[in-house]
Amino acid sequence: MMTLHRRRRHLSAATVFAVLSVGIFSGSAQAQDKAAILLPGSANDQSWNALGYAIVKSLEPHGFTTAYSENVADADEAEAVRDYAGQGYSIVLGHSGRFVSAMQQVAPDFPKTQFIAVSGNEGAEPNVMSVDYNNAQFGCQVGLLAARMSKTHKVGGIYGLQGVPNITAQAGGFRVCAEKAGAQVTILYIKDMEDAAQAKEAAFSMIANGADVLTGKLNAAEAGLVQAAKEKQVYVTGRGFDQTAIAPDLVLTNIVEDWPSMIGSAADQVKQGKLFGTFVQYGYDTGKTTGASLKYSADKPFGPAVTQAVAKDVEAMAADFASGTLKIVPTEQDARSGS
Amino acid sequence: MIDFLAAAIRIATPLIFAALGGILSERAGVFAVGLEGMMLLGAWAAVIGTWGTGSEMAGIAAAAAGGAIAALAIAIVTVRYRADNMVTGLTVNILALGLTTYLMRILSGSNGPVSVHLDPLPMMPVPGLSQIPVVGTLLFSHPPLTYLAVIGCVLLAFVLTRTQAGLLLCATGENPEAVFAAGADPMRIRMLAVIACGGVAGLGGAVISLQQVGTFTDGMTGGRGYLALASLIVGRWNPWGAAAACLVFGAAEAFELRLQSYGIPVSSYIVQMAPYLIALGVLALLGRTGKLPAAIGKPL
Repeated sequence: MMTLHRRRRHLSAATVFAVLSVGIFSGSAQAQDKAAILLPGSANDQSWNALGYAIVKSLEPHGFTTAYSENVADADEAEAVRDYAGQGYSIVLGHSGRFVSAMQQVAPDFPKTQFIAVSGNEGAEPNVMSVDYNNAQFGCQVGLLAARMSKTHKVGGIYGLQGVPNITAQAGGFRVCAEKAGAQVTILYIKDMEDAAQAKEAAFSMIANGADVLTGKLNAAEAGLVQAAKEKQVYVTGRGFDQTAIAPDLVLTNIVEDWPSMIGSAADQVKQGKLFGTFVQYGYDTGKTTGASLKYSADKPFGPAVTQAVAKDVEAMAADFASGTLKIVPTEQDARSGS
Repeated sequence: MIDFLAAAIRIATPLIFAALGGILSERAGVFAVGLEGMMLLGAWAAVIGTWGTGSEMAGIAAAAAGGAIAALAIAIVTVRYRADNMVTGLTVNILALGLTTYLMRILSGSNGPVSVHLDPLPMMPVPGLSQIPVVGTLLFSHPPLTYLAVIGCVLLAFVLTRTQAGLLLCATGENPEAVFAAGADPMRIRMLAVIACGGVAGLGGAVISLQQVGTFTDGMTGGRGYLALASLIVGRWNPWGAAAACLVFGAAEAFELRLQSYGIPVSSYIVQMAPYLIALGVLALLGRTGKLPAAIGKPL
């Protein structure tokens, strides 16, 4: 009996401590804004999802405590979004445009939370936002670069997910501007943007048809594209410095996406109480934050193979986009597979 | 045309290893549904083994060991504990996906994602033969694991039909009671066959990660284990038949990539289905004409 009383006393003390602890921790959590990202895959996939993880971590210097969930299946998106919003997160990011519909579904119940679809292409008032960079502008620049660097006047692009707006924009921009510069363009779509072996085969097939400059917008599969270029000694553009390291002599440049700036800019405003319900697209025409940039390495835009004259023309195109004298809106026909 | 056929061989090579492994397992009476997981662990182990030791041979050995470990799990659960072959195989496939991702994370520690890039295995042209016009380029100018796949076909065909071990293995898949009556241990034979299956399928994973790409990425086998499973069924559990089926699927994928280049007005999604539609079509045509090993899937 005595033991039971003691146990009860201990339990009560533990309960009080637990309640106080929760109070203390939740109090401190409320004092700092929280941001979470939902990833469709694994955070260390060396690819798209790793980028997502980096995005949410980049919000820590902006004063956010961060969290992330991995391998969020399509069917679980709405529940995962709701869960974070319910926990008081002021920003809930979904690392793909496909999160938009789940966010639209959940957002009315959490009017003070900012929902952001990374690489989406639509928003919903008052608090569902999509953010992306202007894929058409950078695709166009790479198209000009490829056409000018090609000796055979045949260039190729390898992409996945035909029909997805940002893919259409980049692949279409590539075709329009490469053709305008006099190259024959072939575009191939592979079924899995993570399948490096398949991307390599696709690249081989283009090279066999005479293409001597390749580009692409792939995830983990980008490594296969660059590896094929290295083995067959043709030029290629990548998506990050990892690709420069694989073939330093052959990588012309990379379209390096600057998500921390794009999302950070919105996060700062959310912190001050502003909410966004639109699609925000960054590019050369949006001031300091361009959303992406052409980079061969941290301090150089182009690789050693790119001549000064070509570099100057490609950079002049950026200036034209910035001033508004050049605009491009590629269609699905521009981004079609084949020649 | 040579380029197209060379592409078919490249795409078929990992499938051939997995299909050969699958034949070992299925001829001994265990459905090889876990080929995908065995390949994936093999792909991971090949890259990490090479990266860790600096030796490609060690990486290839690690790939075989990785596949064999996945297979050991299947062997214990299905043979020793008599669990359903299909469910166990699928479970191991899912487990391998999670495990390889987790292991990459352990390697990365707290310093962000680990990025391993190796030079893929180099081409090894056969002296003299590789100089023969057309045939030389097509058949005798490949990296080492492609030749090993052909050697594997020869060896497995020989072992299954000309050696006592091979005949016992096939008998275990047909009539394990008779094997037992003859003084052999069918359970041990099945266990060893499944583990050997994993070792060979693991080499298929090494083809993708070590020979073709030079890195490991999550889920990089991309369903090839299932295509290999279809190949061994289409090939009627015969090494040469399965290899031929793998080549057909390889050719279908190579054709699919080239078909897009022609600019036919069909969605790329439809074109990308070609290898799988062919697999389905062939399986439907063959129907039940092929004879499964009589005791396959039946616990001992």
